[in-house]
Amino acid sequence: MTDNNTDNGNGNGSEEPRERVIGTPTGGGDALVAGKEEPHRKHEGPYLAEETHARPEETQIRGEKIAAVWFLIAFLAGVGFFVSYFSFAPNAANEPVIADPATAQLANALMGGTLALSLFAIGAGMTVWARQILPHYEVASPYDELPSPPKEKSSFSEFFMRSANESGFTKRPLMRRTLLLAMAPLGLAPIVLLRDTGPAPRDTLKSTLWEDGLHIVVEGTGRRIKAEDLSETGGMISALPEAHDGDHGLSLDDQAKTVILLIKMDPDDFGPQMNQQRLDWTHEGIIAYSKICTHVGCPAALYERTTHRILCPCHQSTFDASNGAEVVFGPAHRPLPQLPLRVDNEGYLVAAGDFSSPVGPTFWDAEVKN
Amino acid sequence: MKWITARRRHPLAGYVVVIIALAFFGVGYTFVAPATSPAQAQNASAESDLANVDLANGRELFNQSCASCHGQDGKGITKTEAGNAGAWGPDLTGVGAAAVDFQVSTGRMPSANPDAQMPRKPAMYGRDDINDIAAYVDAQFGGGPGIPVNVPGDKPKRADFESEADYEEATELYQSSLEQYTGGGDTEAGMKLYMTNCAHCHSWSGGGGALTDGRWAPDLNSATPRQIYEAMLTGPGAMPVFQDSNDEVGGEGGAISSSEKQSLIKFIVDLENEPNAGGYFGLNRVGQVAEGFIGWTVGISLIVACAIWITAKQRAHD
Amino acid sequence: MSDNQAPQAPKAMRGVGNFIDDRFHLAKMGEKNLRKVFPNHWSFMLGEIALYSFIILLLSGVFLTLWFNPSMGHIVYDGSYERLRGVGMSEAYASTLHITFDVRGGLLMRQIHHWAALIFVASLVIHMLRVFFTGAFRKPREINWLIGVAIFTLAIVEGLFGYSLPDDLPSGMGLRIFQGVLLALPLIGTYASFYLFGGEFPGEVIIPRLYSLHILVIPAILLALIAAHFMILWHQKHTQYPGTGRTEKKVVGTPMFPAFAIKAGGFFFFTFAVIVGLSAFVQINPIHLFGPFTPTSITAGLQPDWYMGFLEGSLRIFPNWFDITIAGYAIPMGVLIPGLGFMGILFGGLAAWPFVEAWITGDKRPHNLADRPRNAPVRTGLGAAGITFYGLLWLAGSNDILSHTFEISLYTTTWIFRIGIFVGPVIAYIITKRICLGMQRRDRETLEHGYESGTIAQLPGGEFVEVHKESSPETVHVLESKESMTPRIETPAANANGVESPASRSLMGKLRARLADWYTRDNISFVGVEPHSGHHLHHGSHNGDGPTHGVQGSENGHGGSTASDKVTQGAGQNK
Repeated sequence: MTDNNTDNGNGNGSEEPRERVIGTPTGGGDALVAGKEEPHRKHEGPYLAEETHARPEETQIRGEKIAAVWFLIAFLAGVGFFVSYFSFAPNAANEPVIADPATAQLANALMGGTLALSLFAIGAGMTVWARQILPHYEVASPYDELPSPPKEKSSFSEFFMRSANESGFTKRPLMRRTLLLAMAPLGLAPIVLLRDTGPAPRDTLKSTLWEDGLHIVVEGTGRRIKAEDLSETGGMISALPEAHDGDHGLSLDDQAKTVILLIKMDPDDFGPQMNQQRLDWTHEGIIAYSKICTHVGCPAALYERTTHRILCPCHQSTFDASNGAEVVFGPAHRPLPQLPLRVDNEGYLVAAGDFSSPVGPTFWDAEVKN
Repeated sequence: MKWITARRRHPLAGYVVVIIALAFFGVGYTFVAPATSPAQAQNASAESDLANVDLANGRELFNQSCASCHGQDGKGITKTEAGNAGAWGPDLTGVGAAAVDFQVSTGRMPSANPDAQMPRKPAMYGRDDINDIAAYVDAQFGGGPGIPVNVPGDKPKRADFESEADYEEATELYQSSLEQYTGGGDTEAGMKLYMTNCAHCHSWSGGGGALTDGRWAPDLNSATPRQIYEAMLTGPGAMPVFQDSNDEVGGEGGAISSSEKQSLIKFIVDLENEPNAGGYFGLNRVGQVAEGFIGWTVGISLIVACAIWITAKQRAHD
Repeated sequence: MSDNQAPQAPKAMRGVGNFIDDRFHLAKMGEKNLRKVFPNHWSFMLGEIALYSFIILLLSGVFLTLWFNPSMGHIVYDGSYERLRGVGMSEAYASTLHITFDVRGGLLMRQIHHWAALIFVASLVIHMLRVFFTGAFRKPREINWLIGVAIFTLAIVEGLFGYSLPDDLPSGMGLRIFQGVLLALPLIGTYASFYLFGGEFPGEVIIPRLYSLHILVIPAILLALIAAHFMILWHQKHTQYPGTGRTEKKVVGTPMFPAFAIKAGGFFFFTFAVIVGLSAFVQINPIHLFGPFTPTSITAGLQPDWYMGFLEGSLRIFPNWFDITIAGYAIPMGVLIPGLGFMGILFGGLAAWPFVEAWITGDKRPHNLADRPRNAPVRTGLGAAGITFYGLLWLAGSNDILSHTFEISLYTTTWIFRIGIFVGPVIAYIITKRICLGMQRRDRETLEHGYESGTIAQLPGGEFVEVHKESSPETVHVLESKESMTPRIETPAANANGVESPASRSLMGKLRARLADWYTRDNISFVGVEPHSGHHLHHGSHNGDGPTHGVQGSENGHGGSTASDKVTQGAGQNK
């Protein structure tokens, strides 16, 4: 931990003879701290007199008082911390009173305030101590000489090579090579062991739960939605597929892939990217896009009914909802996948198949058809 | 001044100036940031009865304040038609009373500059006048969603009352209707609906956010429950529509039914009214950007100031 | 204070001391280390802020682990916090609510933990800037600089993981973006994401996995790196600014015991106090207001903590123009370059700089004296350019907030930053370098003529002059230290025989020569400048300096007053 290649590391540079009283097994009473001999000093401090600028006595007396005041403040604030802690005890029914946000705010301010004051006062007291009582030191100490003297270096290198030779590591290649060989599988073992941290991706990212006939429900209420619920132009709602298992709903993984934005617009607004197939996927101006941005996967949901832009609030990729969700600004590369829609015979909106392309952030084989 | 002059060459002078400047910005920011939205301004005649509307008054007010942009016939005036006058406005056919109530009661209409998004302002008309205009537009240009009168909307204003007692009574009435309205509802559904359909523009705190081309989603915390409801019904500006059931008033249907809207509004109101448990400075609920700013300006500069104190040279010993 | 006897150590201490020394033979080493000298300057305390906030992070973090449950199991909340009762959420989020609203001091500790994290990374940044601008990374301290870069990198990763644990709305979105960047990696992206998340996003294992990284693996590595950083610092001793008695061979300052220990201790309490004070009064990361994470929700103004801001900003402003598809396989450069490339530039550049600079200048000497930033104008300019580049990316990470707050169109802010990150650093470089050179010239003026005293004197001829006084020996020392620190590398054209050296003929040699020239060309030479000799010196080296000597006309005045001011020179110290 310390520099031991020089022998003059001590601050005062005085070559005092160091009589090692301590360290001997019998180490008596006058050890460690008291055992210094500094014969040539008149000055009683630990460092040389010219490196020690002592404060005048009156400064020290004043400093002691100021520091004491700070420490007293710290003590009182510390007591205040305990008082504030215990004054927010749970009520008779053992319910926490801090569950009320207003009380929590007060408790936080009182506990934190007293603690901060206490800490600050200790810091201030110690600063006053350092600045008014302790001398101002300007102790000089040499930096290490770099590098080691050539003699030490060559001695080390010679020693090292002799030892290496003697060990046989350099002379016995068979042993050396088999040892290295033995290390290889062990080195790889931790990587292999990580294999089961997750399944292989396969094509899971390319398909979702959506299939023909699956009902679309409003997210949050789980209510099936009819085309007439989106009869007003400019309508929008965030939606999910209906869960097959009504009790548990969809897993978050499935939600993350299947969530859509249902938008109702004037069919006359559809742009040139809306080919016949894409138009067939809409119903009376109702169109569904994946809500997951193709950039890095935030829900892109800021739909502006006037411009038909869908903006992602994370990195501001902007898609044109009236034009096949083409990227019109920002870092995203692929359009948002479109979900084919139709209406079942009861008037409910249902999917007519899976998304037009893989959902979510673009991955390397996202556009490769299988 | 002399004191400053004498010390301006002090080795610490530069640091002191920097610290003061940083502290100034830091403290200034925390005080400026939580500035509240414009006061609500509405006529106080609480839940005034829509049956008593005065269509003649509505027509008069419409011709006075609205027709210059929207046309006498309510068909609107396009930008080209308006020419240099700059007075153009959209077609009001079929917008309905709720849209009028929203635009006028939030002070967005009448507007002097149709090219820019309107910020919220004190309303120009009182409750009765707004009802009259809304009824006139609804009757004259074809109906749309009506004013959701059962949703609390008009917070009483002291100036509109003769006596303190009347004012207090009206305030109490408003409060109780507000509490009644936001008392029920489904927390989970309200939160989900808000988070999936609203928060992406209006932000988790309701504080609003940026849209494209200089538009923005406004702060919800200055809106009354009724205005929020109306905004969902009518989709003002770039905002999409979240319609009620078509079948019946208050029916379970539509994109977000009226009871679901109630849950959603309850979520907004509860969130807005909740004190900031974490501290008296809530940083206007801006979140991480404001936190980083305070960490650098207040946190780091205070700690560095302490470091300067600890290590400062003392003249006596130099 | 007055008696000349060192006081006897208390018996208990002697006992403990001897007990230890009997076993470790530590007395000599102990004394030597307690005598360790630390130069005295506030800017040398910046690294300590990082150390102390790291300690606070460990303490508050341990407290939080007592209740935090890193599980993604789905529950319906039925706890004390009324507003969210009945809401479905993960157990991680619910246990964070428990810490906030059921555990007294829990909210305070959470906020301390978060504020301390912000302060930790911020102090790393200012500490690194101090080291960079003073050249303290130079030989022999390059390895400690590398360790510092590693600490900085790990601190950011640690912060990102910690931010993700409570499973509130922004935290989950941070993870989502992280996963999106992973997916963009060609070939291995989907595998990396599936293995890390145990399947698709969000899966059910990512929070427990991040938890073990956040509370165990990364803190342990950080702790080891910090210990190594500190031991190297201890071994090599701290750099110091030039001054009287302070040389490359000798450090002057405050000894560890008693003085520095007390100062450092006090500073720990100050750091702690500021962090706790912020936590008491300024709300941070109110996860109970954000609501639980769902992958389908998003909020406007979504931001990471500040230290991730530059990555967020680079993702925002980088266009999709360079995205390519090779044989149907997508390579989304718009994600890869800002998500990974910029990070590589930042950390790679920081790590490589000490070696690049040493290669350019050919300076292989050890340095213990810190450069004054003005004396290395190119480095300082590059640093300013780097700060500008980083700062603009960081600002770009909040462009929606800026757009909303200052009412600028959103796309306009994007374009401002897209252009700004090219123009801004260049301007910052030029301006900073000019300022440095100007300061060098002023330094030479001061060295030659003394400093402006502010006193106006009237000469017998009626002329008014400002009396220049001689600078203090300390100032002279500081100013004179310049030349030895920045060796002027001459372009190695030819040796004495007119033969080009082989090294300078190679392509790299030529590049290096050009870089060396660029690195040192504009430095103001102090060669031949004698302190306080201004009226004697109209030397040739003035010529290359450009229009700096607007004061030349009054130099006679300087000379005269300097001469007549000899008496006061001791008193008029300008430290």
